[in-house]
Amino acid sequence: MKENIWGRMLNLDRRWIFLFIGVVCIVPFFVPFGLPVIPTRHVISIFDYIEELGPENAIFVSFDFDPGTDPENMPMAVAITRHAFARHIPVFFTANGPLAQGMLESGFAYITNPLSEGYFHVVSWSEWASYREMGITDRSELEAAWEADGHVLPDNAAGWVFEGRDFAKLGYLPYFSLVILGMTSSIAAQYPEDMNGNPLVEMPMLQEHKNLREVDLATTFSGTAACTWWITFGREKIGLPVAFGVTAVSATDYTIFIQSGQIVGQMGGLRGAAEYEVLLQQRGYFDKPDRAFVGMDVQNAAHLLILFFIVLGNIAYFAGGFHKKGVLLKGRR
Amino acid sequence: MYETIGIWVAAMFTLAIYSFLYKENPLYRLGEHLAVGISTGYFIVLTYTQVLKPRLIDPVFQESQWILLFPAVLGLLYVTRFFPKIAWLSRYPMAFIMGTSMGVGFPLSMKASVLRQLEATILPLYQPGMPWQDLAGNIVLVFGTLAALIYFFFSKPHKGLFFGTGSKIGVWVIMIGFGATFGFTVMGRISLLIGRVQFLLKDWLGVIH
Repeated sequence: MKENIWGRMLNLDRRWIFLFIGVVCIVPFFVPFGLPVIPTRHVISIFDYIEELGPENAIFVSFDFDPGTDPENMPMAVAITRHAFARHIPVFFTANGPLAQGMLESGFAYITNPLSEGYFHVVSWSEWASYREMGITDRSELEAAWEADGHVLPDNAAGWVFEGRDFAKLGYLPYFSLVILGMTSSIAAQYPEDMNGNPLVEMPMLQEHKNLREVDLATTFSGTAACTWWITFGREKIGLPVAFGVTAVSATDYTIFIQSGQIVGQMGGLRGAAEYEVLLQQRGYFDKPDRAFVGMDVQNAAHLLILFFIVLGNIAYFAGGFHKKGVLLKGRR
Repeated sequence: MYETIGIWVAAMFTLAIYSFLYKENPLYRLGEHLAVGISTGYFIVLTYTQVLKPRLIDPVFQESQWILLFPAVLGLLYVTRFFPKIAWLSRYPMAFIMGTSMGVGFPLSMKASVLRQLEATILPLYQPGMPWQDLAGNIVLVFGTLAALIYFFFSKPHKGLFFGTGSKIGVWVIMIGFGATFGFTVMGRISLLIGRVQFLLKDWLGVIH
């Protein structure tokens, strides 16, 4: 059967569509449209919740994803961590799998890399040992004493982060759902040491927050159902406030937890991360948004192209009379 | 130096994987197999260094915590799956894990995923002072849930006002749900591509900042 133009459109080689998508995903990096990203209430609620916290509180940032969803989950985890670090809120970092621990390392390296804008300068556990021996563990006293000794914060740094005072990298343990359950009684019982081999019980942040009951928020970033473990074993068992950062694919699956009031808020996909970055900029934490925001122009362009193809496909379908025939060319139905 | 090599290797394998979009080829296969193999290797090494060594080998051999040999032996029984004559022994660790998981997880999972959701659906449609958006949301939530449930009720023919119209509305509600999921799926897949393009243009080629 000879194909007319509508038939040829419906049987377009999919590689042309891949090519168009590829081009559209490159061009906006060089010619940005600058379309606005307006934060939604579910993201604002997480931001506002963290705004209420300070050095006397603590949060968990759980890297519960693997490289497959890195572009979506990583910017969310980075944005929340930067927010917490800027407010001197102690952060416990965990991971629900071996590959997730690699993501934790990668995200932390990005936040503390001097080449990243607004990076946080790490002071390792051993570097401030002498201050601990002098009994200086209070956050503001520690920073004052550290700088009084001649340590100068680099110009492009957003602040100091002291290992054991501002953060502890706990990492991965198997059967992570049961690890969450165990941490409701004792964090140190699950993690006697952190990923760097430092003893957790000696860390000031652990002495002040011995278990999940003494933690103020758990944020989980995931592309799987792993995030619901925090609801099941944290929220429902001890009332731990939980916030989600999920991939766009699974965003609708977990929206039900917002409706039921089981989570503080939810970031969905790259868009959610971009919204959080915009909030960080609007509230004066950082001069400009990070990677997710940059990607949103590309996202918009790609969506427009996909809409165009959907409309074009439907026009071809009806104009070609395929709705009457019930059969597409080449045997497609 | 090592970082540069790493970026080049990552860039080459990114291109190898995307070459599948043109057609299947050996480079794509190589990239796919290496991803699986390296992930497994990484998993094994990390499990040994972070779990087996500090939590089993060191405590047993350095601190004589012999009690840990019981769970270790129970775990090793999994290996008997490879020996047909004694494969039945692997049922013991499985039974232990399944029993423990059920016992620990079932009540909390029921509460988190079923009871709380039911509770969230049982709500007053209108309360004085409620914004109109919330009222509209509540109406959609309650009637949408009912309509979708009617669609899946197969004991009565889908005819008449209640079952007929209800199931038709249910189909629309389900389709709207699928549409939202599809939209999010497109966004997710494009996000993954954006991440790779950012890596190639910024980290590898250095043409964007």
